[in-house]
Amino acid sequence: MSLLTTGVSALLTAQGSLATTSHNISNVNTEGYNRQRTESVTTTPSFQGSHYVGTGVTIGGVERIYDNFIASQVRTYTSQQSQQNTFLTFAEQVDDLLGGTDVGLNNGLESFFNAVHEVANDPTSISARQVMLTEGAILANSFNTIDRQLEQFDQQIDSLLSTSIQDINSLSRGIAELNNAIIATGSSGTGAQANDLLDQRDRLINELSTYTSVNVIQEDTGAVTILVGNGQALVVGTANVELHEIADTSTNPVRVGIGYGPAMIDVSTQLTGGSIGGAFQVRNDVIDSARAEIDALALGVTTSFNEQHRKGVTLDGAMGGDLFSVPTPPATVDAGSIRLAITDPRDLAIAFPVGVTNADLTTSPITATSGSGDVEITSVDATPPLTLPLLAANITLTFDSATNQYTADDGVNPAVTINYDPSADSGISVSLTAPMAELTLTLTGVPADGDVITIGNSSSIGDNRNALALADLQAAKTLNSGTQSFSDAYGVTVANVATRTHQADIAQQTQQGLLDQANLRYESLSGVNLDEEAANLIKFQQAYQAASQIITVSNTIFNALINAV
Amino acid sequence: MRISTSYLFDQNLTAMLAQQAALGKTQLQISTGQRILNPSDDPVGAVEILNLQREINLSDQYLTNADKAENKLVSEEGVLSSSVNILQKINELSVQALNDTNGLSDRQAIAQEITQLNEQLLSLVNTQDSSGNYLFSGYKSDVQPYSSIGASYAGDSGQRSLQIGAGVLIETNDPGNAIFEPEHIQTSLDSSAATDSNLTITEMGKNSAIPDGASLDINFNPATNTLTVTMGALTQTVNPYEAGQEVKLTDLDVGLPDITLMLEGNLTANDTHQLTTSQTTQTIFKTINDFVMALNTNAVSLNDSPNNGDFLTNLAAGIGAIVDVQASVGARINIVDQQREINDELTINLEKTLSQIKDLDYAEAISRLALQELGLQASQQTFAQVQNLSLFNYL
Repeated sequence: MSLLTTGVSALLTAQGSLATTSHNISNVNTEGYNRQRTESVTTTPSFQGSHYVGTGVTIGGVERIYDNFIASQVRTYTSQQSQQNTFLTFAEQVDDLLGGTDVGLNNGLESFFNAVHEVANDPTSISARQVMLTEGAILANSFNTIDRQLEQFDQQIDSLLSTSIQDINSLSRGIAELNNAIIATGSSGTGAQANDLLDQRDRLINELSTYTSVNVIQEDTGAVTILVGNGQALVVGTANVELHEIADTSTNPVRVGIGYGPAMIDVSTQLTGGSIGGAFQVRNDVIDSARAEIDALALGVTTSFNEQHRKGVTLDGAMGGDLFSVPTPPATVDAGSIRLAITDPRDLAIAFPVGVTNADLTTSPITATSGSGDVEITSVDATPPLTLPLLAANITLTFDSATNQYTADDGVNPAVTINYDPSADSGISVSLTAPMAELTLTLTGVPADGDVITIGNSSSIGDNRNALALADLQAAKTLNSGTQSFSDAYGVTVANVATRTHQADIAQQTQQGLLDQANLRYESLSGVNLDEEAANLIKFQQAYQAASQIITVSNTIFNALINAV
Repeated sequence: MRISTSYLFDQNLTAMLAQQAALGKTQLQISTGQRILNPSDDPVGAVEILNLQREINLSDQYLTNADKAENKLVSEEGVLSSSVNILQKINELSVQALNDTNGLSDRQAIAQEITQLNEQLLSLVNTQDSSGNYLFSGYKSDVQPYSSIGASYAGDSGQRSLQIGAGVLIETNDPGNAIFEPEHIQTSLDSSAATDSNLTITEMGKNSAIPDGASLDINFNPATNTLTVTMGALTQTVNPYEAGQEVKLTDLDVGLPDITLMLEGNLTANDTHQLTTSQTTQTIFKTINDFVMALNTNAVSLNDSPNNGDFLTNLAAGIGAIVDVQASVGARINIVDQQREINDELTINLEKTLSQIKDLDYAEAISRLALQELGLQASQQTFAQVQNLSLFNYL
């Protein structure tokens, strides 16, 4: 073996190293690129009878600096971060929609109740009634708008899922093709790794992990098997299995689900992590629940208002109708479909159909001993629809101070006695029941013996009692089995979404931190550092120069030998 | 630790963008003056804000309602006090008219004046508010409560309440029949059982009513020369009694009505006269009108039927009824005022709490902004400097 051969081997190896370094430098900004290193190995030494003499160097291989464990960590955190990111993006929008102080339902409810109060203040005013109708329409419109917005978020998620499915399919196709190419290079018998193909495949797998969590299994052939969800194989060897957009008919309107393979088996619930996992999660946890809560609120508001409104009497003396139009059956009330059912302000039912006369002045004169007993009708309890006249006959309440009892009698139905001890019971609520009348009365004061109080049909335009009853709905705990008022329920919805968004924000930051750390470790190992490459450049340049000197020396020696001849 | 060049670049950039985002948020907080931009910034605070705003809004509405309620009550109060003035004027004129020195023409002149006052009273009672609603017709605000002097009440007994606080309802009107239809007494004399004597009532005081269901029997027994006054279980005698002698019943017993009477004529038969008082309610207008008619025919003696001696009592009862309602209206105005103060204070407290939750602490925010600005500047500078460092610069 000659000095020249050794020199040439050194020259070639240095060239190879320089080439790798240049490759590293040129790919400094290439996404998914892992730095490479040329492995130098000594060539087989030659045996000189008693000893071995080195014969130079050769390139053992070009290795990429890569750690499977760190790479899989990066993939896991990428999936989780992407999931939180998608969740947060949508949750923030819902949060903005519901919680804005200028939009949102709160203002609509407040203004509507203010308008109801104004009608109570001046029941005969057509303009006050018109304002109440307008505010009612605005309230209905607020419900519609919120519902429509939430539906739009649903549609956005649908389109996000559709594009994700297409992206996943093209990624899985790419991975399968790269598997094919990698197997081919492996089977060429050189045993060398196609580093840049591996990099490309890893990059595609990383990208896939932003859509959903993936499980990567390394095969002996050099191919990888990609599993998603509950072990559904997305890529096996050189083949990939496509995902399909299927219709999720469990909801109305129909939404997008994800089907696996040619049989389109629904795997929607099994795909976790990534933007798909985040989309399903936000749809479930935030959008669906917010919609359900807003729908429940819409149902509560409309049914409570309708029921109370139908107990009232309009300006024209007719029984009130529905204030809001509600589809039948009412249990399916959708906040998007409620409308104001009344257009004529005269049709607002502000009066009660019954009233109290303290005494029948024509037949029963007030005597000097007449007491201060009073009866007020606090509510009409009969279930609408009601027909006028509500009472078959006037009901007289006659007080007997000996027994402390009122006797209610309408001359048609059996008389009813109501216990009332003026010394203890003032302000008590009592109910009259069918068949006489379904009314709740409040008894006050000290009636004298024989005092007569008459309850009769009434429809007076100045009566504002039903408006007061409607205004009372503002604070009434009508929702959630009598524990929440309308605003309470809305507050709970806002709080739920806000808390969930807040959580997602924190989770997103945490995941981002974890991903950053994993990326740091990954980049620390596999990333290109230009300073390092610059140093290597110098190192290999010097090696190259030194190898050149070997050739010069060998030339000089050869010349010396020639000249000696 | 080995650092990759592109990662160093990315990390610096990410850090800078994060600084920028934080700065932007602080800037938005300062420009809006609000601490909570989205509910998720502070879920608890956000819901609290919703609740507080609702409470403030409601409290403001209660204040508006209180103003309306007070307006209505004040105008009712005005009408009531004018009514009392008119009735007092009528009272003065009546006393003057009943004076024995007046002749028929004098009484007719006074009667005319009273009639005018009565009509003025009626138009007061039929007052409408600015929206054309009658003040005193209960819920039937479109119906004139008393269409004429003799008409009966056309309204109903509804009292419209306004809500001026949480659970505080205030009645803003009173039905006319509870104000202008006071207790009306009518004393009548039944002398059908008497043959020879005449009973004359010479004076009736304010408490001249004989209790409902009872009667006052006056009997003269010529055998014992005794006048016996019986009212229920109460019996008093005057012995001896001479024809024409005036007997003031309250002198006999304080439990008897305030009536002075005398028996005249031939007191030989054992005669009994019976006095009863019927108690009804009647509109004050009709009571006054009845009196006016009596004045016009000069039939104002105490023995005339209907007995106009009761008129002053009835008029006093009428004034009393209005004054009672006036007192109640005044009490309600007080309640409205008190409630308004409560609501005012509540609003102030709520707004203070709201401001604490919602409003930005400017001092804190501005110093935070300065700090964030500094941070951003620093990271920009270091970015530029660090990116300059490269071994290639020295090759």
